[in-house]
Amino acid sequence: MARTFKRNKSTRALDVVLEPGEAAVLTRLCEELTTLLDADGAGESEQTDPVLERLFPRAYLDPTEEQAESEWQRFVHDDLVVGRRQAVQTVESSLAGALVRRGRFELSLDDEQAQAWLAVINDARLALGTRLEVTEDMDVSRLDPDDPDTAPYAVYWWLGVLEERLIDVLL
Amino acid sequence: MIPGGFPGPQGPMGPLETPTIVEPDVDETVEVARPWVVVVWNDPINLMSYVVYVFQKLFGYSKEKATKLMLDVHYKGKAAVSSGNREKAEADVSRLHAHGLWATMERD
Repeated sequence: MARTFKRNKSTRALDVVLEPGEAAVLTRLCEELTTLLDADGAGESEQTDPVLERLFPRAYLDPTEEQAESEWQRFVHDDLVVGRRQAVQTVESSLAGALVRRGRFELSLDDEQAQAWLAVINDARLALGTRLEVTEDMDVSRLDPDDPDTAPYAVYWWLGVLEERLIDVLL
Repeated sequence: MIPGGFPGPQGPMGPLETPTIVEPDVDETVEVARPWVVVVWNDPINLMSYVVYVFQKLFGYSKEKATKLMLDVHYKGKAAVSSGNREKAEADVSRLHAHGLWATMERD
């Protein structure tokens, strides 16, 4: 398999090559993250989606700091949502601008775009992993092919590989 | 910390003759004496390499320090990654949340 991410020695940009299926999965994950972020604050009730709770946790553990907690939430929450949305949009537009050659998606990322890719890949892992209730000692090889969770587990596992590859070239 | 204008260590002058000493602001004293610590908690999803990367990126820590903190998070369940006044801790927590790490803040 070709290397997904490679630092271009002359332009210093991050060159990316994705297989068609990889680009399709990333595109769908971006749509799902957008839907998830749209749901944030949409309901009248208290936030109960475990994925949103994982992406936007409390700052204060101490229950006597409730006032500080709500002030902090009021101060930063919208910015955190906007930051995540912008990262998704950055990934979507870089995918849309990719050169498709022999079915492969080729694109080039500057540092800011690369950070957005890392953020989106990690957010997608957090969302999927929380949904699937993964544990540290999870054994992917023991999954039943007929289990409806097997496909999302495969995506989760692939995102981990992709993220490791991206971090390798960012370091 | 000694507030500005304080006359310094008291010499052998008579005791109880300095009623003009201003009481320090209690809240400020507490804030200084008990700075806030930012704690990152273990979670089963974030990659170890990613956590090290984020510690280096956000706090400018060396690879060694970032790795040690990540290992503390992983094996001890949590690690204190930064500290300071309330405002700094809140800012650090929100930057960690923006990067998907599970962070909270508490008084030291």
